[in-house]
Amino acid sequence: MSYWRKLLGISNKKPLTDDHLGQVEKVISLAYIDPYLGTDLISANAIKRIYQVNNQLHIATVLNYPGLIVRPIIIDALSQALKTLNLFDEVLIDVQWDIPTHLGQRQEASRIKNIIAVSSGKGGVGKSTTTVNLALALSEAGASVGILDADVYGPSQPHLLGIPAGTTPQSRDMRTYAPVTAYDIKVMSMGLMVTEKTPLMWRGPVASETIQQLINQTLWGDMDYLLIDMPPGTGDIHITLAQTLAIAGTVVVTTPQDIALLDVKKGIDMFNAVDVPLLGIIENMATHTCSQCNHIEHVFGEFGGESIARKFQSEILGSLPLNIKIREQADAGLPIILAKPSSDIAQTYRDIALKLAVNVAEPGLITPLPKITFVND
Amino acid sequence: MTTELPHQHTSNGPTSGRKIDRKRVPTDIIYHRTSRLLELVYPDQSSVQLSSEFLRVHSPSAEVRGHTPDQAKLQYGKKNVNIIQIVLQGSYAIRISYDDEHDTGVYTWHYLWELAENKTTYWQEYLQTLLTAGKSR
Repeated sequence: MSYWRKLLGISNKKPLTDDHLGQVEKVISLAYIDPYLGTDLISANAIKRIYQVNNQLHIATVLNYPGLIVRPIIIDALSQALKTLNLFDEVLIDVQWDIPTHLGQRQEASRIKNIIAVSSGKGGVGKSTTTVNLALALSEAGASVGILDADVYGPSQPHLLGIPAGTTPQSRDMRTYAPVTAYDIKVMSMGLMVTEKTPLMWRGPVASETIQQLINQTLWGDMDYLLIDMPPGTGDIHITLAQTLAIAGTVVVTTPQDIALLDVKKGIDMFNAVDVPLLGIIENMATHTCSQCNHIEHVFGEFGGESIARKFQSEILGSLPLNIKIREQADAGLPIILAKPSSDIAQTYRDIALKLAVNVAEPGLITPLPKITFVND
Repeated sequence: MTTELPHQHTSNGPTSGRKIDRKRVPTDIIYHRTSRLLELVYPDQSSVQLSSEFLRVHSPSAEVRGHTPDQAKLQYGKKNVNIIQIVLQGSYAIRISYDDEHDTGVYTWHYLWELAENKTTYWQEYLQTLLTAGKSR
C-alpha cells in the first residue's frame, strides 16, 4: 500500500466471503494445535483478524504468551495448510504476542505485569536453578524478565547467573537501586548487597524489612514476568511477600520423595491461605541415568509429583532428571539453557516456562481485587 | 505493627485444593463516613452493609481474639468508632484502621463473607455477652 493511500485511509483490505472464511477457519483449526495452549488457535481466541488484500490472505495472530519460539512453527504449519485450499495467491501470517497483566497489581510494582513465586516446602530441591532456567527460557521466547532473589540468608542467583563477585546495584540517590542485568535478566538479590562470605544474622522482622526494601527500592522498569526465588519453608519472608505484593501465582518445585512432598503440601496450603493460585508443579530430580550403563533409576521414588498435582487439582508442568550437567553448568554461572541450548533438558525447561506463561495468562486464575472508596454520607 | 495470616479456626480455614472462591471477593468496598457503614458489593451485585462498630468488635486481630480463646478480650464502648483507612493486604484481605488506634485487624474475604452472612446472629451474641459482662456499647 502506498504512503498516500495509507495517509488518506484508503485501504484494499477486504473481509473474506462467509464461505471462504469458514474454509480458512476450518483449515487453521485443523492445521496446528498449540502445545502450550493445548488447543487450536481459533478456539484459543488467538486469531484476531482474517482479511484479504487483492488476492493475498492475511492472518493476524496474537498469543497470550511469549511466542518467539513457536512463531516459525505456526507460520510454517498454517501457510502450508492454507496453500492447499487454492483460494489465494499468497498467504501472509503475522504472529505477535500480548502478555496480559495480572489485575491486582499494586502501585509500587505496577509496571510488572505478572509476579510469579517459585517455591517449595523444602530446601535443596533445586528451586534457584529452576528459577534461573525458567527466567532464561521466558526471556529467550521474547519476554522481559526479572528475578527477585527472596532468599536473603542464602542468596544464590548472582552466582547462578555468573555475575562477578563485587558487582553492586547502581544508585544515584542511595534510595533507589537499578537491578543488575545478566543475560538480559534483571536481578536483585541480597547477594549483590553484601559479599558472599558475610553471614546475615538477622531476626525475622529485619529480614521482612529488607525484603520489602528489595522490592520497593528497586527500579524494575517495565517487565512481563518477575520470578521470585522463594526461600524454603513458610516463614516471615513468605508472609511479607504475600502481604505486600499481588502475586499472580505460585509454581512449586519438588522432588518425588515422600518427605519433600510433605513439606510441599504445607507450602501449597500457605499460598492457599493467602489466595495465591497454584500454577503448577515441577518435578525435579525425578530420574537419574547412570553415566556408566545408561540405566534409568527413580532415585527419589516415582509418581510423587503426580499425587500432589492430583490432590491439589493442579498439573505437572514438567519433570526434570537429576543430571550432573544441570548442576555443573549452574555452578559455573552459565545455566544449562544457555550452555547446552539444544539438549533435552533445555527443551524441557522451555516447555515448562511456556506452559507456566499460558497458565498465568488464564483469566480464570486472576484474582479480581475490590475497589476501595470512602464517601461522606 | 503485628499483622498475621488469616486465623485458621474460622469456618473457612485453608482446605487442600481450594481454588479461590471468586464470589466471596467483593468487587467494591465503600465506606460511608457519616453513617459509619461499610458497604461490600459482591460480583452478583448483591450488597451488604456492616457497621464500623460491628467490624471493630469482631476484629480478627490477636489484640482482640488473643492467641487462644480464653485470651480473647471483650470489646466494648465502641459505639462511635469510625474507620479511617482501609488497605489491601496482598490479594486475600483488607486491613482496617480505626480512629481508636486499632489497626491490626486483617479481614480476609472469607471472614468478611462470614461476618456478612451471620450479621444478625453475631450481633445478638455480642449484645448478650455485653449484657452478661455488665458493659455497655
